Amino acid sequence: MYQFHYVKAKSLQEAGEFLAAHPDAKLLAGGMTLIPTLKARLAQPSHLVDVGGLAELAGIEVKDGKLRVGAGARHREVAMSAVVRKAIPALAELAGVIGDPQVRNLGTMGGSVANNDPAADYPAAVLALGATVVTMRREIPADDFFQGMFATALEPDEIVVRVVFPVPKRAAYAKFPHPASGYAMAGVFVAENADGVRVAVTGAGPGVFRWQEAEAALGKNLSPAALEGLTVEAEGLNEDMHATREYRANLVAVMAKRAVAKIAGK
Amino acid sequence: MEHHLLEVGGVRVSRREDLRLITGAGKYAADWELPGQLYAHFLRTDRAHARIVSINVEHALEHPGVVRVYTGADAVRAGYVKPMTMLTFKGKSGMQVRVPERPVLAHGHVRCVGEPVAMVVAESALIAQDAAELIEVEYEELPVVIHPEDALAPGAPQLHENVPGNLPFEFEAGDAAATGAAFAKAAHVTRLKLEVTRVAPNPMEPRACLMAYDAREDRYTAHVHVQGVNMMRKQLAAYTGLPEEKFRIMARDVGGAFGQRSLAYPEYCVQMLAAKDIGRPVKWVASRSEGFATDSHGRANFVSGELALDRDGRFLGMRLDWIAEMGAYLTPTGPVSHLRNPSTCLTGVYRIPALYGCWRTALTNTNPIAAYRGAGRPDIAYVIERLVSQAAAETGVDAAELRRRNFIPPEAFPYKTPTGSTYEIADLPGVLEKALKLADWNGFRERRRRSERAGKLRGIGISTVIENTGAGLFPKDEVQIEVAANGAVTVYSVSHSQGQGHETSFAMIVAETLGVPFERVQLRQGDEEHPLFGNHTGGSRSTVGAGSACHLAAKKLIDEGRALAALELGVEPSQVEYANGRYRTDHAERTVALGDLAKAKTFSVTAEGSFSSTFPNGCHIAEVEIDPATGVTEIASYVTVDDCGRVINHTIVEGQMHGGVAQGAGQVFGEHVVYDRNSGQLMTGSFADYYMPRAGLLREITMEEHPTPSKVSPLGVKGMGESGCTASLAALTNGVLDALRPLGVQHLDMPLTPAKVWHAIQAAQRKN
Repeated sequence: MYQFHYVKAKSLQEAGEFLAAHPDAKLLAGGMTLIPTLKARLAQPSHLVDVGGLAELAGIEVKDGKLRVGAGARHREVAMSAVVRKAIPALAELAGVIGDPQVRNLGTMGGSVANNDPAADYPAAVLALGATVVTMRREIPADDFFQGMFATALEPDEIVVRVVFPVPKRAAYAKFPHPASGYAMAGVFVAENADGVRVAVTGAGPGVFRWQEAEAALGKNLSPAALEGLTVEAEGLNEDMHATREYRANLVAVMAKRAVAKIAGK
Repeated sequence: MEHHLLEVGGVRVSRREDLRLITGAGKYAADWELPGQLYAHFLRTDRAHARIVSINVEHALEHPGVVRVYTGADAVRAGYVKPMTMLTFKGKSGMQVRVPERPVLAHGHVRCVGEPVAMVVAESALIAQDAAELIEVEYEELPVVIHPEDALAPGAPQLHENVPGNLPFEFEAGDAAATGAAFAKAAHVTRLKLEVTRVAPNPMEPRACLMAYDAREDRYTAHVHVQGVNMMRKQLAAYTGLPEEKFRIMARDVGGAFGQRSLAYPEYCVQMLAAKDIGRPVKWVASRSEGFATDSHGRANFVSGELALDRDGRFLGMRLDWIAEMGAYLTPTGPVSHLRNPSTCLTGVYRIPALYGCWRTALTNTNPIAAYRGAGRPDIAYVIERLVSQAAAETGVDAAELRRRNFIPPEAFPYKTPTGSTYEIADLPGVLEKALKLADWNGFRERRRRSERAGKLRGIGISTVIENTGAGLFPKDEVQIEVAANGAVTVYSVSHSQGQGHETSFAMIVAETLGVPFERVQLRQGDEEHPLFGNHTGGSRSTVGAGSACHLAAKKLIDEGRALAALELGVEPSQVEYANGRYRTDHAERTVALGDLAKAKTFSVTAEGSFSSTFPNGCHIAEVEIDPATGVTEIASYVTVDDCGRVINHTIVEGQMHGGVAQGAGQVFGEHVVYDRNSGQLMTGSFADYYMPRAGLLREITMEEHPTPSKVSPLGVKGMGESGCTASLAALTNGVLDALRPLGVQHLDMPLTPAKVWHAIQAAQRKN
């Protein structure tokens, strides 16, 4: 990696101010994407501003009927949290299949959501559950937050503080891991929310997206049979040496059915 | 030795090296440090084929902390341009191998992505890496050729002036005319075109070397990973034109090798230049990315095979047209292992009256190929066993029955094969029947029906294989045993463990022969203070070679000790008996311990032995279940019955079998090095894109032994470090194809990724 300056932020405000004053500075939380990127010399930040241990980003609780997860929550914490497992078990289950134990011990929800890797798991949950991303200065609904591959509504110096999830009636996540990387080749999060069913797909496209045709079908009948014959349009999905877009489209349909089967089995 | 002294009563001896290795107390190549050492970083080309127009290192030299920068001109000036080749036999029509020059830093041309163009030496690794980015290289791009069939075609871009047609060597084995006649009278001919994919061995330990030069002694010391110090020394000497005694090789623990770590890579020779010029040791540790691009790759064989059968399903002849891709340069082991081993075992386990194979090696703009666990043996076994299972399917004969019908019968051993090797001993029907029973071959139909009811496709695959273990680069193996006054026994060997557990198994052999406690015997591998003649670890040869030499050395120690003990006891040697570490005689009360003989002066012996190939063989049966919705294959069961002769340590043998089968499964289900066919860029340059098998892929192996006695070694052992890999490629692939054949799928090449299997199912369903 290239040389950089390391800054340990004492508060969120200090971190925000530092980012605003140093356009080439980057936030460091779990570092599970950033550090490998630096090691490969694919990025050259002037400073790394460590917000990893900030108390303001910690905490998992249910408040006003909503699950609030601090941006600094590690994947393992979310996976093991009794609060999460009670409120949204599917979210805990999702956190438990991110990466590997090392990644889950370090990676954070805020980092994953802010990075918006098109094959990351969390964005599917955030979008399907209609969560709200809370930053230092505003609240951004999931539908507005994710803007395609590695792009979000965040300003360069804006820091995610927490994600607030409405508690769904039922939800489930089914993931087909990429055989090499373990990222989602297709991950489908299905949630029966107060205002209807939402289906979010990660890994298959250039960014997380909602499969509205499936949502409509499942809104009428929340069972795998409702998805029979439904497929996402392969056009526009990712294609690489590992999988064609047709294969990914198939995986979306299969994973959606498996997620719904999990819900129906509950 | 008639019994397993140390495993008697089923008590197993655990691997004594494991605690050190798994607690991080091992000493690997990157763990060496020397006072005053500098650090090297290699600038590697991002072009697959180009002419180097100019290299400007000025800015790099000005970078603070940089000591020197080397380029191809330095390599050529030193004459470090031609690597060793182990290919010493003649090819088709007396052809001599054409070894292309490979300056240790690219000079004039680059021929594959990752080839080193310059080396920066600096006060820290970080400084060296920073400075490497300041080097300006101007290239003139040349046309790229990636697929070996393209490379051998007329009009292909030429890689090397002295290798016309990109064909460094062509070789044939068998009898073309007789085989042609056999095919002419065949009732059925099965044909397959197969690719044994290119894979990245990926040892856990990254490549590293710390090179020092001693001006007083005019000698280099390379601290590096080896499979044997002698092979490393021989190659470094050959590459640099220096005498072998100018090299001292320091190696302790080796974190996986698989053939890849037997090579003396060009980087080490560049480090020699710097260590001598600057007078300070130079250390280099490769990144994993460098490993993917530049550690030798394995396999990469492209084979068209034909099998001729008569009306009764008896094999009449087999014919192979084999292209062995070599990459941009020849490694010392690549061509020899991909030609000699397949031709030695060309007949597989079958009596095939007429055989013919033609091998063409091909140079492409890719990273060089070298030996990789099995080194051509898994490749030939895969080709034959795919052909046989395909023939069984085409002729409607049970796959096990077709094999049974064509086996070389037990009474035909030693069996002289049509391609000139002699299989020592095997009981193939015995191996097969045991495996069929273990796998419940006859119950498969019912299990398939059960899978069908669950919406799954089930298949069963079989392979029956034999392989030649390596006879070695050196004609003999030496082992030295030294006894200390306190009775401690130290064994010295050249053969170097990369995980095989020599410290346990060799010590067991010596302890058993001497009749002393295992704990009293220690092994030292590749100790330069005790230089010995002998082979590296490779080609499944260590226990046969060095292990047997351990036994011979222990016996020699007993004999030489007898004379010394006789003097002490005041009797004739013939009146002295030895047992359990002690000499005694009927003519005296006193006894003499081995250690007593080392009190006055060193008590040490060196013994040697020459051991030819052994022929381990076995039958593997894999049952798989495919989810047609995703194309995911699960290995439902895996059975192995292997004949590796006498087993010294069952834990180690089982570990080798597990590792070999898993390595084969990795290749079958996902491992694959991919280069872009147009640009020559490496598409699988990290673990994000290069699949490695996870533990869950192969949950259980059911193993049994079926030993037949070998006389090659006094221990009765056969090599077995590669057998798992040799048998598993075909067993697993045949299993998947058996599951898919009812849909109409006749052929798939590795890797059998979920996506590929799903597409095959889709295509078959569209056709139906």
